[in-house]
Amino acid sequence: MAYWPWWLGALALGGVSIGYFLLIGKLLGVSGSWAKVVGWKEDRELGRSAAELEQADEGEIENALLAATLAEFGASAMDEKTPGQDASEPEEDVPTASTTVSYTPWTAHLIFLLAMFGGGLIAALTSGQFELEFQLSDTHSRIFGGPLEIWLSLLFGGMMVGFGTQMAGGCTSGHGLSGCSRLIPASLLSTVVFMLSAIGLSLLMEASIA
Amino acid sequence: MKQSRLKMYLSYGLIGGLMGYVVARIGFGDYDELHQMFVLDDLRMLYAFAGAVALSMLAFILLARRIPKPEKFFQPGTVPGSMLFGFGWAVCGACPSMVFVQLGAGKIPAVMTMVGILLGVYLHKKAHARYFRWDTGTCVSD
Repeated sequence: MAYWPWWLGALALGGVSIGYFLLIGKLLGVSGSWAKVVGWKEDRELGRSAAELEQADEGEIENALLAATLAEFGASAMDEKTPGQDASEPEEDVPTASTTVSYTPWTAHLIFLLAMFGGGLIAALTSGQFELEFQLSDTHSRIFGGPLEIWLSLLFGGMMVGFGTQMAGGCTSGHGLSGCSRLIPASLLSTVVFMLSAIGLSLLMEASIA
Repeated sequence: MKQSRLKMYLSYGLIGGLMGYVVARIGFGDYDELHQMFVLDDLRMLYAFAGAVALSMLAFILLARRIPKPEKFFQPGTVPGSMLFGFGWAVCGACPSMVFVQLGAGKIPAVMTMVGILLGVYLHKKAHARYFRWDTGTCVSD
């Protein structure tokens, strides 16, 4: 069965990007999900401290801050007027909707990634495209040759994708979909650079087998 | 398990499954289709992507007030990272989401791509902690 026409793909992919925001409350970014899953140990610690912070009541936190200030600077630091005491000054430490980000455990991101596999599997099965294959595609094999070259190219290609997306701070979804649709300059630049890099190398690879 | 936690898992699972399905049906998991796009022979998928960006833009303008401020900004890794990603994508035909779609379609060698991405993300984490230390403003802000 043929792939979707471009307009149907645009509608559906746009729907996913918007749906992610409406459902999750954050912007879609798959390389961010990868980072959370790979950094699961740090994330677990973050989750613990977030839970502790939630449980501790405000007085407890204030006392802890006070004790830490005394330990660090001595009692003299406490004699100075603190900003909060001046009624005319605005309170600075009141969390607003934009500064507090709800904590999402890494396991949710793992489920997100695994569900993508499930979705891809269902799509392949229902459209008759599922086929166990020991090559990525005919074109890929034509470019890279034998089995060893294929597997090595995928390993190093994957490493470049993993390292590159983390370094750039986003990928096709984070920079491309979420960033470009909000006209964030860094995302626009990133998307232009990775598309041009991919096009340039693909043209070279095509020329090498022609 | 708390009710809210379960709901979160279901939400992530639902949108992940949907995304995998959509990306697969557009053809992004197919290296041949992708290569056709990258050598500028068939721009169908590029139009689909651009259309999705346009749609999202429209929706985000309408929802603008609810969207947190952008946390992505220029940093030293933006250009070299994007170049590395572009080259890697041309070679293995997978961006961080498409590898799952390739696996779902039964492409066994995509396992290597997945190992590669895992390694790459892990190496960056180590390199970042040791050498770079700049703020990459990753996709997920928490």
